[in-house]
Amino acid sequence: MAYIRKRNRRIFGMFLLPAILVLFLTTIYPMIYAGYLSFRSYDLAKIFVPRVFVGGANYREILSSSEFLHSLIVTFKLMAMTLSVQLVLGVGIALLVVQKLPGMPLARTLLMIPMMISPVIVGLVWLFLYFPEIGYLNYFLSFAGVGSIPWIASTNWALWAIAIADIWQWTPFVMMGTAAALQSLSPEPYEAAMIDGNSRWDIFTRVTLPQLKPVLVSLMFLRAIDAFKIYDIIFVLTKGGPGDSTEVLSMFIYRQSFTFWRMGVGAAASFVSLIIIVVLITLFFKSLNRDQAA
Amino acid sequence: MNVSRTLSLAAALATGLTGAAWAEKEYEGVELKMLAIGDTSVTRLAPIVDEFTELTGAKVQIDMFPYPGLIDKIVIEASANNPSYQLMWVDSPWVGVLGESGALEDLTDLVKRDAEEIHLDDIIPIQLQENTWQGRLLAFPASGMIWHINYRKDLFEHPEEQAAFNKRYGYDLAPAKTWDQFIDIAEFFTRKAGETLAGEVLAKDFYGNAQAYSRVAGAITHDFFPIMRSFGGQYWDPQTGLCAIDREPGLKAAEVMKELAAYNPPDYLGLMWDIRTGYMERGEVAQSGYWSVRTVRLTNPDEAVLPTIGEAGYAPSPTGDGNPADTMTGALSFAINSKASDREKEAAWEFIKWGTSRDMMRRFANEGSGVSQFHKSILSDSELQKKYPYYQVLLETQERAQRRIFHPFYADVEEVFGVELNKYMAGETESAQEALTKGCTKVNTRLKVFPEEMRLRWINDVPAEIFD
Repeated sequence: MAYIRKRNRRIFGMFLLPAILVLFLTTIYPMIYAGYLSFRSYDLAKIFVPRVFVGGANYREILSSSEFLHSLIVTFKLMAMTLSVQLVLGVGIALLVVQKLPGMPLARTLLMIPMMISPVIVGLVWLFLYFPEIGYLNYFLSFAGVGSIPWIASTNWALWAIAIADIWQWTPFVMMGTAAALQSLSPEPYEAAMIDGNSRWDIFTRVTLPQLKPVLVSLMFLRAIDAFKIYDIIFVLTKGGPGDSTEVLSMFIYRQSFTFWRMGVGAAASFVSLIIIVVLITLFFKSLNRDQAA
Repeated sequence: MNVSRTLSLAAALATGLTGAAWAEKEYEGVELKMLAIGDTSVTRLAPIVDEFTELTGAKVQIDMFPYPGLIDKIVIEASANNPSYQLMWVDSPWVGVLGESGALEDLTDLVKRDAEEIHLDDIIPIQLQENTWQGRLLAFPASGMIWHINYRKDLFEHPEEQAAFNKRYGYDLAPAKTWDQFIDIAEFFTRKAGETLAGEVLAKDFYGNAQAYSRVAGAITHDFFPIMRSFGGQYWDPQTGLCAIDREPGLKAAEVMKELAAYNPPDYLGLMWDIRTGYMERGEVAQSGYWSVRTVRLTNPDEAVLPTIGEAGYAPSPTGDGNPADTMTGALSFAINSKASDREKEAAWEFIKWGTSRDMMRRFANEGSGVSQFHKSILSDSELQKKYPYYQVLLETQERAQRRIFHPFYADVEEVFGVELNKYMAGETESAQEALTKGCTKVNTRLKVFPEEMRLRWINDVPAEIFD
C-alpha cells in the first residue's frame, strides 16, 4: 500500500513538473529577478553607468515622483470611466439578450467578437477610426454637423478616446457574465413579485440587482485589475500623450524601463503597481466574504 | 574599443580584400543582416543589394523598422553577446551612447586607409564629424541632412497672393528669413474650406504650416532643437556639462512653436515627422521646416502629390535676427556591430563602401530617386541642381553648420523634452520657462551623479581623427 502511495506521488510529481517548470521560468524567476533589479541601478543602454546596489533609492524615487502620482491618477480616472460605462451597458445589453426573442443567440455571439480580438488590433482599428483627416468617426460625425474632433491629439479627448475603445472591447465581458447570471436566477422571487403587483423597475431594482450583486462585484473587480494594467491600446493610440494626458501606470513603467532603460526604477515601479493590485484583490475578497456572510 | 582587433581588420583588408577580391567573390558564404529604418537612405539601396552579392559573394538582408523603437532594438542587439545583426543603421545622435558603450566598430583606420577609394575629400566634413565619438569615426554617412524650410513655391510666387500679403504685412512674400516672418506667412496662408487660395476655392482647410509636435520618440524636439539653434542656443553649459536648454534661445524657440501651433493642422499635438511631411507632400500646407532626408520626396511624383499640383521651394532655416546662423546637421549612417566576427566586419565594411559610394549616390541622383546627398561634387553639379533644386540649399547651409546632439544621454534628453514641450504646447504647462526648467532639472538629476570631468568629456566635440 505504501509502495502504491509512493508511486502515485511520483506520478503526480511527474505530471506537475512541466507546469511547475514553466511557472518558475516564466513567472517566479522573472519576478525574483525583477525584485533584485528594483534594488539596483541598472541601465541597459548605458553600460558605463555603474550597476550597483542602491537600497530603497528606486522606491523612494518612484514614491516621491510627481509623474508616478500623475500616472496613478490617470489610471484610476480611466478605470472609473471604463468601469462605470461597461457596468451600465453590460447589464443593459445582458437584460436584452436573455429575452426569448428571435435572433438573440446570434446577437450574443456577435457581441462577443470584440472581446476575442487582440488589444493591439483593437488599438489599430480605433486608430483608423480616430484619424482627424481620414478617420471614419469624424467622417460620420460630419453628417451630423459635428466638426473634426482631434480624438487622440487633444488633451481633452485622448483619455475618452482610449476609454471608448476599451469600453467597446470589454463591455461584452460584463454582458456575458451578467447574462449567464441572469439565466441562472430562480424564477420564484419574480413570480412572487409579479403576484404582489410590483412594476418592472421595482422587480429589477429589488429582485434582480440584489441577486446579481455578487456576480457584478466579481466582474467589476476582474475588469478593474485589467483596467489597471491597460497598456496595448494606449501604446497604439497615444503612447501616453498628448502631453501626459494618457500616461497610465503601465506606460510610466514602460518609459522608465524601455525608453530611459532604467530597469531598476522600472522594476521598482512594477512592484509598487503589484502592491496596489494585491490591495485591490484583498478588498475584493473581503467584499465577497461580507456578501456571503450577509 | 578594441584597437588591436581594428588594426588586424585593417591589415586584413589592406592585404587585398577590396576591388580585386570582389572579382573572386571573396565573401562567398558570409551572410550579413542589417538592422535598419525604412528611410530613403536604405529604401534606395535595399532593392539592389543582390548586386553586392554578385560582386562579393556576401549575402545581405536588410530588415527595416519604423524609427520609433529602432534605437531600442539596436541597444538590445548591442547588449547581446551573439549578435543577429552585423550592420546597423545609425542616426548620428546615437553615436554617443553606442560609442561610450563600445557597441560600434571603430572605422577611423579603415577610412584613412581607403580614403582615396571612398573619395574622402569629396565628403562634406561635418557629415563625417556627425558620426564621431571622442574623435573616432563609428559610422559612415549614407545620407547627409540639414534642417531647412520647404515651401509651396507656386503659392509664394502667385501674383494675387503676393499682393495680398504685401498689403497685409507691409513687406514682400518670400521664404522667411526670421521666425517672425515665418509666423506671418503661416498666419497668412491658413485658410478655411470655401475661401480662395491662388485664385481657386478650397475644398478643404489649408494650413499655413506643419511642424512635428508629437511627444512620441521625442518628435517635437527634432523641430524644437533646430529652431533653438537658429537663435544661437546650445544643449549644454560648456562650464559644467549640464543642461542649458532652458536659456533664452530655448525659450524663444518654444514660443515660436507655440505661436505656430494655431496655423498647424488640428491634430498637431500628434504630428510625427512622417505625418507632418505628409501634409507638405500632399501640398496641404504652405511651408514646413524639416530634415532634408524627407525633402528628397518632394521632387518625385511617385512619392509626393505636390509635384503634380504645384511646386516645392527650398530655403535655409530662418534665424532669430535674420542674420546667418549655424544650421543644424544630421547624418543617417551605416555602422558595424563591434561584436560581429572579423570576417563579417570585413564584408560589412565592403558593403558600406559599396552602398555609400559616390558612384552609387550619383546613380540614385541620375535615376531620379532622391537621396539627401553628402558629396560636394554631386551637390554642386549644375545639371543635378536643376533636377534637385534643394541641392543648392544643402550645399550652402552646411558651410556654417553644427552637429546635432551626440551625448550618451541623448535619448533621455529627447524623451524628457519631448514630453515637457508637448505638455506646454497642449496647455498643460503654463509657460515655456516652466516646461524647459522641468526638462533640464530631470536631465541634470541624471547627469549630476557623474563627475564634472566626465560630463565635459561627453560634450566635447573632438575633431575626427580621419582629418589628421
